[in-house]
Amino acid sequence: MVKLKINGTEREAQAPAQRLLLDFLRYDLGLTGAKEGCGVGVCGACTVLVDGELFASCLTLAAAIEGAEVTTIEGIADQGRLHPVQQAFIDHGGFQCGICTPGQIIAAKALLDFNPQPTEDEIKQWMMGNLCRCTGYYGIINSVAAAARNTRNNAPRQPTDD
Amino acid sequence: MAIYSAIGSSITRGEGPDKVTGKSLYAADITLPGMLWGKALRSPFPHARIVSLDTSRARAVPGVRAVITAADLPDSLVGRRLRDMPVLARGVVRFAGEKVAAVAADDPAAAEEALLLIDVEYEELPPIFDAAAAMSPGAPALHPAMSSYEGLPQPPSGINNVFAHITWGQGDVAQGFAEADLVFEHSFNAQLMHQAYIEPHACLVSAEPSGKAQVWVNNKDPYALREQLAAVWGLPEERIVLHPCSIGGDFGGKGSFMDAPLCYYLSLHSGRPVKMVMDYIQELMAANPRHPAVMTIKSGVKRDGALVARQARVVFDSGAYGAFKPTVYLRGADHLCGVYRIPHARIDSYMVYTNNVPKGHMRSPAKPQVVFAVESHTDLIAREMGLDPYEFRRINLLRDGDSSPVGHQWREIRADETLRRAAQSAGWDTPKPAKPGTLTGRGLAITDLSQGVGRFAARVSIGASGRPKLHMAFWDTGTGSHTVLRQMVAQELSVPVDEVDIELLDTSEMPFSSGSGGTRVTYTAGQAVVGAARELRRQLIRAAAPLLDSPEEDVSLHSGRVVVGPSPQRPAYYRTIAIGEVAAHAPAANHGEAGIVAEYEFASEPPDVTSFCAQAAEVEIDPETGAITVTRFVTAHDVGAILNPLLHQGQVEGGVIQGLGYALMEELQTEDGHISTLSFGDYKIPTSADIPPLTTVLVEGASGPAPYRSKGIGESANIPVAAAIANAVTDAIGAPITNLPLTAEKAMTAIKNRESGN
Amino acid sequence: MIDFEFHSPSSLDDALEMLERYGGDARLMAGGTALVLQMKQRFAQPAHIIGLRPLAQTGGLSAVQETDAAEPYVEETDADETPKSIRIGALCTLRRLEDHPLLRARIPLLADAVRRVATRRIRSMATIGGGLVNGDPSQDPPPALIALGASVELTSPSGTRICPVEQLFIDYYETDVRPNEALTAVLVPVPPADTRGAYLKFLPRTADDYATVSTAALVPRNPNNTCRDVRIVLGAAGATPIRARAAEDLLRGQELTDDAIRAAAATVPDAVDPLDDFRGSSDYKRQMAAVFTRRALTQALGYNKGTATP
Repeated sequence: MVKLKINGTEREAQAPAQRLLLDFLRYDLGLTGAKEGCGVGVCGACTVLVDGELFASCLTLAAAIEGAEVTTIEGIADQGRLHPVQQAFIDHGGFQCGICTPGQIIAAKALLDFNPQPTEDEIKQWMMGNLCRCTGYYGIINSVAAAARNTRNNAPRQPTDD
Repeated sequence: MAIYSAIGSSITRGEGPDKVTGKSLYAADITLPGMLWGKALRSPFPHARIVSLDTSRARAVPGVRAVITAADLPDSLVGRRLRDMPVLARGVVRFAGEKVAAVAADDPAAAEEALLLIDVEYEELPPIFDAAAAMSPGAPALHPAMSSYEGLPQPPSGINNVFAHITWGQGDVAQGFAEADLVFEHSFNAQLMHQAYIEPHACLVSAEPSGKAQVWVNNKDPYALREQLAAVWGLPEERIVLHPCSIGGDFGGKGSFMDAPLCYYLSLHSGRPVKMVMDYIQELMAANPRHPAVMTIKSGVKRDGALVARQARVVFDSGAYGAFKPTVYLRGADHLCGVYRIPHARIDSYMVYTNNVPKGHMRSPAKPQVVFAVESHTDLIAREMGLDPYEFRRINLLRDGDSSPVGHQWREIRADETLRRAAQSAGWDTPKPAKPGTLTGRGLAITDLSQGVGRFAARVSIGASGRPKLHMAFWDTGTGSHTVLRQMVAQELSVPVDEVDIELLDTSEMPFSSGSGGTRVTYTAGQAVVGAARELRRQLIRAAAPLLDSPEEDVSLHSGRVVVGPSPQRPAYYRTIAIGEVAAHAPAANHGEAGIVAEYEFASEPPDVTSFCAQAAEVEIDPETGAITVTRFVTAHDVGAILNPLLHQGQVEGGVIQGLGYALMEELQTEDGHISTLSFGDYKIPTSADIPPLTTVLVEGASGPAPYRSKGIGESANIPVAAAIANAVTDAIGAPITNLPLTAEKAMTAIKNRESGN
Repeated sequence: MIDFEFHSPSSLDDALEMLERYGGDARLMAGGTALVLQMKQRFAQPAHIIGLRPLAQTGGLSAVQETDAAEPYVEETDADETPKSIRIGALCTLRRLEDHPLLRARIPLLADAVRRVATRRIRSMATIGGGLVNGDPSQDPPPALIALGASVELTSPSGTRICPVEQLFIDYYETDVRPNEALTAVLVPVPPADTRGAYLKFLPRTADDYATVSTAALVPRNPNNTCRDVRIVLGAAGATPIRARAAEDLLRGQELTDDAIRAAAATVPDAVDPLDDFRGSSDYKRQMAAVFTRRALTQALGYNKGTATP
């Protein structure tokens, strides 16, 4: 039995040891927002947050993060209200086919939580782990920059945890 | 010029909230009760006879519900036009990765385990990997039964392993070369490239006891797929229903049947719905990538720079089968002579069978390859003649009244203007930046892209809610076409765009429509949707007029209402009624709800206008490493009305970056017929940190054949990129690289060769 | 992936005991990025996986601490300065290292190399210890660690031993870590305050690629611009990270002129043994190893504390 907290709710399901977190989310829990793309941790379509850290769920065993708090795309909007990052992706052409979009939004949210006012270069460096084949990235970068402008949280850069 | 309200606005996509919250369902997300997982066993050999196949051990794996081989299937071939491919290899395998058996099981792990227990004995046969070698008379004929294949172009080519030899041209090249003062000839190679959509192929098929097949698949051409499936399954089309799902990127690669035919048989044999999802290793190994090409172009030029003759040849390594090509050969090869005025021209293109992966379509098929060749050739001629590549093009670019080298007559040709604007934006006349320790260069390229043709059926309805609904069986691959089509409905019915809904139907509920692709959607689907919306408007007005006690000609639509304005007879008279109310009064439509329904089918003709795309690249090359950096990129587009600037720009930008990948880094590499780049760790596509500064120039004012005088944009921007960058690299180094991709190592070699005077 | 049993040890001792019990059929899993991928590809098929993630918060296994050094990085003439080391718990993720103020301030060469690994997401999962045990010679941290004279602490039921990183790598994906050992810490001597360094990663394809070749160069303070010591280590250039000793020997005791640097770099093509692969031919990589050696040295000497942007 694998037990994880997903988007604030305790969830559990029977799964063998080799069950990847990605498959646990998609098939055991029915949360299909995280996508399988490359399967080797490069494309970022499977990106989720595990205890606040960016994770490739296609390279994570569900059993290995037992007890962790997982955030998926389904948990980003707040009771139907879109997160500023989500709204910005709509307003500024941040998506086209949408398959990479859940991963992009998780990564963008993590960036703005870490660095609320990133430069364009900082956005590119952070987001380079999320591949997109439709947009050419210009729309994604514009969306993240717009979300940074719109976000209420203008706190200074977070100190590290040590 | 009419003023439009919904058209021309950067309306955000209606599917936005679903896509940014993960609610959109893609084929791999869909499940059915009792669903099994299907997996395929693939041949490790590029050419072999199947001596024996034993599935008994696989059948014994717990959870396995079906194991099938060709022996379990009818002897039937599948193909988008040329039906030359078995669903499972029958007696012989022709490429490494060809499917030889398949398993359906309760879970993916059981299916995988079963695959490992299928015993296949192969007898290797001599493989042919080189297309030119395959054409020689002594090479083994990979398809001895070729002449019996349905869909084979006639007359047969008469050349070994060539299933299509297509020619285009005009005039008499022998005469043309006789008139030329100078003759130039160059050869070029373009590499094997994958579409690299982030979502792999996936399908879910339920073969029902009733004889119907319910299909969910990320295929953007559902009606064509239905035809192909009907043909291979031997089922009438009405028994096959394709259901809509979101598609995670297409770029030409998601028009093929892929695993769907096989998945049906797994469902039939197991009695359960079966899902098959290709992992990305299989995608890179055995999907339907872009054709590599070997091209030679010979041109005859007068001393004043005018082209008088051009003879060109392109050999496409089609791979083991031609089944993945909807038109059998690649029509884009007709651009191998470029967009120039050449009285005597001839193109010979060859589609060749080899024991490599079978290729398919990718964003403007054949054009990135041939435009790389012809635009590089153009620059090399200019350099050898001591002419500025821009001026040399201007001397020869098509103008109104000219026919293209293959005999197309376009009206309203804006090639010169488009090139001029690109060059101007790139600072062509200004000195190149001189950065110490780098080589800098600039390059140009120009091509055209016409609108594709097809058929489309649209239905628009209004019920008591007053919200117009567009009904169609047409899936959006990410281009934003659904939003643009809603804008058209909104425009015609004078309602806000966000009040227009789309109902996606399955293929049983609408007549045939050509799918997304070929730059046909804005044009063909657009005209059908506008036609339906205009018919609906007529019906609304006809129904509203008596309710408003007015003649029809006094009645119009405005902001969701039917309006009668003041007239000389009734100067203070002003009545209005909501369109929902009008619809509520109408008798029940044939779908059971009160309302008004209009349908429209449109079959597009090849238009008489085209659209030019000119690009300019500026590069810096590190002379010690050969590393190429694109420091500036300009893309100029000859456009009509822009229906949605945000979506339009998205297509341009995405196209440029795909072109960048083609130019600089992407290559499916092979070793002895096996694809060796089997993950995104090896096959690299551009990341957000790899994009150049990009300027888009819209050369407005043209009149397109699509609604509101617009033109399609989906495929253009990716075409000339490799050529523009290659020309910039040639300018920087002083010597060309004639095969793609332009890697740092190749640039280093070119620099060293030029330094040592080679 | 084949079936395996997953174990969650409650302590390091527990994990070591499991490793002993299951023998060659067991693998320790830290971040999992390398191991899970190898299992998916069937290159690794362990019957038992011992998951170390829960141990990250215990026993300093992911802590980053400054300690007194067992040995100085380089013989100090200034006796006032007590040599220091930074002890990094093996389970510390690369992301935490990248952001760590202590590392940034005291060993920027390592921080620079760590931040070049793959993508932010991979760095958020992968650990410094896990990466070393994987033995991939194309990784970014090893050349920097070897240039810094770092060691690893290897713990088994019978105790701990220290192994210099330079001796840890044996062949492609093969290290000196014994089957019953866990890598528990990385010990990095803090170089003297005005040591200069640079880590350059040659990426002609995309920003998220492995290096075509990479170079770490570290040059302690040089009186009169004469080279007292130098360390040059190449990554993605052979079966293991490669120390360019011939180049170092040529430079030691010499004045650090452009010509001297060029001559030293010219020895590097013969020192490396890269493979032909998707990133380039062996010949090309040899030439690039020389180019990037020269550039890393030049950059290190031109900037204080070395900032790595190739």
